Amino acid sequence: MREPRPSRTLLATSRTALVEAWANRRSFWVQVGAMLLNDSVWVIFWVLFFHRIGRIHGWGTDDVLLMFAILATVTGISMGLLANARRLGWLVAEGQLDAVLTLPVDPLAYLLIRKVDTALLGDLAFGPLLFVFAAHPTPERALLYLTGSLCGSAVFVSFVVMLGSLTMVVGGRGEQGDLGFQALLILASYPLDVFGGLTKLVMFSVIPAAFITGVPVHLVDRFSPATLGALLGAAAVSVVLARMAFRAGLRRYRSGALWTRA
Amino acid sequence: MSGLTPYAAAFASAAGRVVRRPGELAVRLLFYVVILIVFTALWPAAAATAGGSIAGYSAQALLWYVTVAEASVIATKPRLIEDIGNDIGSGAVATEMLRPVSVFGLRLAAETGEALVRLAMALAMGCAFMLLVKGAPPRPAAMLFVIPSAVLAVAANLAAQHTFAGAAFWLNDAKAAWFLYLKFVFLLGGMLMPLQLFPVWLERVSWALPFWTMAYAPARFASGHVDLWLLAGQAAWMVVLASVAGAVFAAGERRLEVAGG
Repeated sequence: MREPRPSRTLLATSRTALVEAWANRRSFWVQVGAMLLNDSVWVIFWVLFFHRIGRIHGWGTDDVLLMFAILATVTGISMGLLANARRLGWLVAEGQLDAVLTLPVDPLAYLLIRKVDTALLGDLAFGPLLFVFAAHPTPERALLYLTGSLCGSAVFVSFVVMLGSLTMVVGGRGEQGDLGFQALLILASYPLDVFGGLTKLVMFSVIPAAFITGVPVHLVDRFSPATLGALLGAAAVSVVLARMAFRAGLRRYRSGALWTRA
Repeated sequence: MSGLTPYAAAFASAAGRVVRRPGELAVRLLFYVVILIVFTALWPAAAATAGGSIAGYSAQALLWYVTVAEASVIATKPRLIEDIGNDIGSGAVATEMLRPVSVFGLRLAAETGEALVRLAMALAMGCAFMLLVKGAPPRPAAMLFVIPSAVLAVAANLAAQHTFAGAAFWLNDAKAAWFLYLKFVFLLGGMLMPLQLFPVWLERVSWALPFWTMAYAPARFASGHVDLWLLAGQAAWMVVLASVAGAVFAAGERRLEVAGG
């Protein structure tokens, strides 16, 4: 019997994850609806904020709504569709990596697509909706928004994978992954140009929040080939670094001696 | 812990549990510091844009406001409502009903024990951070009122979360309700910004609901405004919320006894 190609296996795994999320319809809609409400509250906050304050460092309501559309799309892709990215450290600590390592597929790719976070699919719906209704969509802006969101997602997933991979080396239960995830999300939730000095430097390097929302907003609003190149470069470097970190971690990994379903 | 009432024992044991898990506490506090870093960039920029102060709050007052507001909210578990709902939905709460004490009372005591340790650590860290980075609060004497107000804020928050979660006795789970509840606290509770920055209609709505007792009240003291009636308002809301939560749990337990889990 011919063995299925790894890409088809991964595709089937991804489909299974989505079907699992969809299986309990009531729970699916409740969670998606709650996330839509949650995102709406942030939009209300920013509208109130800029209504009261006016523009800050070149950012106004329109810019922040675009930022939020990108952020919601990025979290929907990277934490909703690839939910295990954030849980990598925990999966390692629980010994759930063992079962995955026996499969004839790329273990990192399999882990990432194996689980869907239903609530965060609400973000995936909210982001494009907000872009359409509040970010002055044109075909060109839509293409740039999509490019920015995909690059932002690559940076986001890569960052949390790198932190999760650390668990294979330093042990623990992946707390550094949680902290990094929260830090990245918080820093990416505010206008980039509000920050200055050391914080901004950190956002372009150690905690790459600038590439999640700030740079993509600049790409959509003030397109330049240099911005596009920087964003694509950051995404490519992040992915390469994440794969290297995961492989380096695997070389140090010792089984948790637990046999579980991945 | 002989000699302690069951509630005091649950309180003390839960407080000790937080201290014995420094990793979890450290992650939460570092997360809090990241938020403060963001706010030390955002609010001074906003105040400068608005001409030095916004709705009577200077940049310094706003920074101390958000420091205390955040500390009061992160002291409680974000997913407490979901956890309680799961315990009710799975039937685990039935075993707690076998004890000769109030299920709600024991849970509230334990959660308060945990939350007060986190609150103390967060306030200590937040105040140290602000003192080092941005200087003293606008009216240092007003900080004396922050402690009782923050304790009342945490107590009111926990009581309200138990009220929300009690719905699981009838709905079988409280999934996603915590999401919505937290956003009420964030926005209508004044955690993200003082109520005075809202449009008039939203400010009125916020005052009519209990969420201001959970973040706005202690933060208002930290911003240098000594409005003592806030303490009385918090105490009154806390009594109301605890009474409602107690009644919801009592009704829910009766329902379980009659209909089964």
